[in-house]
Amino acid sequence: MGSIFERLWRVGPAALVAEAIVAAAIANGVLLGFILLRRWYRKRYFARRDARVFELRKEWDRLISGEIPYETWRQSSFDRRIVEAIALDSLEAAGAEESARLLTFLRKSGLIEKRIFEARKLTGWRRMRALVALGQTRALEGISALAQGLRDRDLEIRLAALRGLGRMACPQAAEEILAWVGERGLCVPALPLQSALIQCCAERPQLLIPYLQHAQGPLREVLGRVLGEVATPSLSLDLLQFVGDDLDELRAAAARAMSQAERGLAFDVLNELVRDPVWFVRLRALVSLGELCDPLAIPDLLVGLTDSHRLVRLRAAEALVKLTVPMISIFQQVIATRDRYGLQAYLTALENADLRGKLEEELQAGAADSKEEKETLLRILQTGVLRAVELAMAESAPPKTALLS
Amino acid sequence: MIRLLEFSNHALFWYYLASNISYLVMLIVALKTSAVHQRRLKSHRLEWYKDSPLAPPITIIAPAHNEERSIRVAVRNLLELEYPQLEVIVVNDGSEDRTLEEMRKEFRLRPVRAVYIPDAKSAPVRGLYRSQLNTSLLVVDKEAGGSKADAVNAGLNAATSPYVCIVDADSVLERDALLRIMVPIMADPKLVVAVGGIIRVLNGSEIKGGHLQRVRLPRKSIEVIQVIEYLRAFLIGREAWGQGNMLMIISGAFGVFRTDLVRAVGGYRSQAIGEDFDLVARLHRLLLDKGVDYRIHFVPDPMCWTEVPSDLKSLGRQRARWQKGLLDVLWPNRDMLFRPRFGRIGCFALPYLWLFEFFAPVIEITGIMTIILAACLGVLSREFFLQFLLFGYAFATVISIGSVLQEEITYKRYNDWQDVARLVSYCFLEHFPYRQMHMIWRLQGLWQYLRGDLAWKPLKRKGLESAVGG
Repeated sequence: MGSIFERLWRVGPAALVAEAIVAAAIANGVLLGFILLRRWYRKRYFARRDARVFELRKEWDRLISGEIPYETWRQSSFDRRIVEAIALDSLEAAGAEESARLLTFLRKSGLIEKRIFEARKLTGWRRMRALVALGQTRALEGISALAQGLRDRDLEIRLAALRGLGRMACPQAAEEILAWVGERGLCVPALPLQSALIQCCAERPQLLIPYLQHAQGPLREVLGRVLGEVATPSLSLDLLQFVGDDLDELRAAAARAMSQAERGLAFDVLNELVRDPVWFVRLRALVSLGELCDPLAIPDLLVGLTDSHRLVRLRAAEALVKLTVPMISIFQQVIATRDRYGLQAYLTALENADLRGKLEEELQAGAADSKEEKETLLRILQTGVLRAVELAMAESAPPKTALLS
Repeated sequence: MIRLLEFSNHALFWYYLASNISYLVMLIVALKTSAVHQRRLKSHRLEWYKDSPLAPPITIIAPAHNEERSIRVAVRNLLELEYPQLEVIVVNDGSEDRTLEEMRKEFRLRPVRAVYIPDAKSAPVRGLYRSQLNTSLLVVDKEAGGSKADAVNAGLNAATSPYVCIVDADSVLERDALLRIMVPIMADPKLVVAVGGIIRVLNGSEIKGGHLQRVRLPRKSIEVIQVIEYLRAFLIGREAWGQGNMLMIISGAFGVFRTDLVRAVGGYRSQAIGEDFDLVARLHRLLLDKGVDYRIHFVPDPMCWTEVPSDLKSLGRQRARWQKGLLDVLWPNRDMLFRPRFGRIGCFALPYLWLFEFFAPVIEITGIMTIILAACLGVLSREFFLQFLLFGYAFATVISIGSVLQEEITYKRYNDWQDVARLVSYCFLEHFPYRQMHMIWRLQGLWQYLRGDLAWKPLKRKGLESAVGG
């Protein structure tokens, strides 16, 4: 038996073309017919749906209070889908009282039970739809069905279950997610997992610690980042164990979390981390220092301002600008670093915060020691250039401790 | 001679067959991919990302050259995009009109000393300005560099985010376009290095305050045909290539890239004619050289609406430029062809582009000439010739209607029956004489490239503020 190419060659172009014309003409007809039929069907469907939504909306309060028996609309899948969609959409924007009322309705009408059943028993896209709906309800009884969804073979289903659990935003959901990653490792992309865990661990971040101690590789990084986002002052001591960790991400997470720690401890740790060999660890440490909003952070922020990485310099400058100490003293210290890149970063941050005018006014008002110094500072502020004279001036500038006072 | 003609006609037939079959395969792949994408989106709630601390910061770079009529609306549109951490850099590329003044007035710009590190080659910068009304807007005023690439590079040098989104200043982005284009990156930031969005034709639609009010089909035939071309190119071509991780073009009008990688390849090549295509090719080369596992995605729903040429002269110039751009990228990258090191790109995507994109006008014109010659010499079967024409026509129509179907079942932006009926009619009408004209424009582009005529000629545009629908 010859190959397909041999057979095609034997048929010859003429016969092939004739057949292809017929096939293409039929295809054109089918495509056109499909477009027309689909348009016609959708038009009818949406008109019908719109009319029914209007009717149900008119009776909405009676419907969710149970005055209208649930059986009247539950029997029809068309009505059931509409009612569920309206209830879930309302739930997204509802306040506490309205949420409770809607949730009671979803429970009493059996819609949640139905979705739990579908999430457990169905497969493929239908299971995914059920998981998404369960997540939207934020009903705690859905957690176990969602947790089952995490163990599906299909990545999309796992992601839907993970997002659903994330929507629950409660420690029970966090426990399910953590138990699952502990058991299966990182089998979904990192970001959705991080996002779900951040939402769920906000209430009890300490849940992460035991998992973090045993996790390996990329999962450890992810958990570290989550910890960095959700850490609270009560976790300060737990976080100390990660300050010297081999994993850059974990040191960065510890640095980030330190902004929530007790001040004395935070300064000690961050002082070490702003000198870390990895740029993003230094960056995180500087951002945390900035968040502490304490003049004690100035020496470390000035170290960050002379960093070799431009993003680190920028963040250090932003943190310096946010401080509530007199701007002139900080400006003098920035000049004293004699780092042109650092100066540029500081001036950029000043301008971004729209504070350049304020500093200029302070300088004009004569807060500087001498007229010559004032003019020099103004010139540097206006030109952004450090000349030899100014560098010399910077060298003779008062010591940092004096400026801080 | 006769045998040569016969051989040529046969070769042309098989070439057409292969070309159409490849497009048919792409249509099927695209239909399946977008169906999966639509279903996948159902588990995403974009509003959850709006305030997410995990959404990576993005810098939008919008180069503007003599855009005084539309710049205010365009920048306002960019600033109003829904995204948690956004910086907008507008690069005034040596405009000779009042582009900078318009922005200065509208956004109360003040000179600033922002960080600008010239990693990528660009013409000298005259000044940097930041808006007093919205500090996330930075304007880079630079001397004319003679190309969009040069302007984008200036923006890249001032960008501070890990991702850059390159757009055209005269395009309209839908409000959630950034959230949508970032979905693949947020799902897997380590793997996904760039994402392209879809470009749709703005002509004919109603715009108010920089926002799209109502999508309508343009009135002029030449514009409607471009609507079909764009649907075919994006909803079929790019969707399918993206699915196979072989996307070679991310349109310069709307694409997101990892900033460090764009800097690593030196930004856009200033002299490149098809700078968007050139950048993606160099990214592929860099990452494949390093043996890195990566993905370049195409996402069909974050929509960017752009004005297309509405007269034949401008359209001809644009298409000639595209053809020049194609050769300008394919030729320097010829060493990637059939090299296993370059994987699917070297063995599949680039050969396809050479054969079915670059050589297409040459083969088509040669084919027509040999057919005419064969007819003159009496060696052409008239019946076969007619059948062959019919076949080409019917098959190409299937692909065009397929792209309309794709739009219908997924995004359905043309709601009026009238618009859809016109769109479908043009699927039948575009093949004559537009296709032949298109082929000639492409040949002109090729000839200009070989002659060394690489100058960029501006296209006639109406601008966003004018009545696009008019």
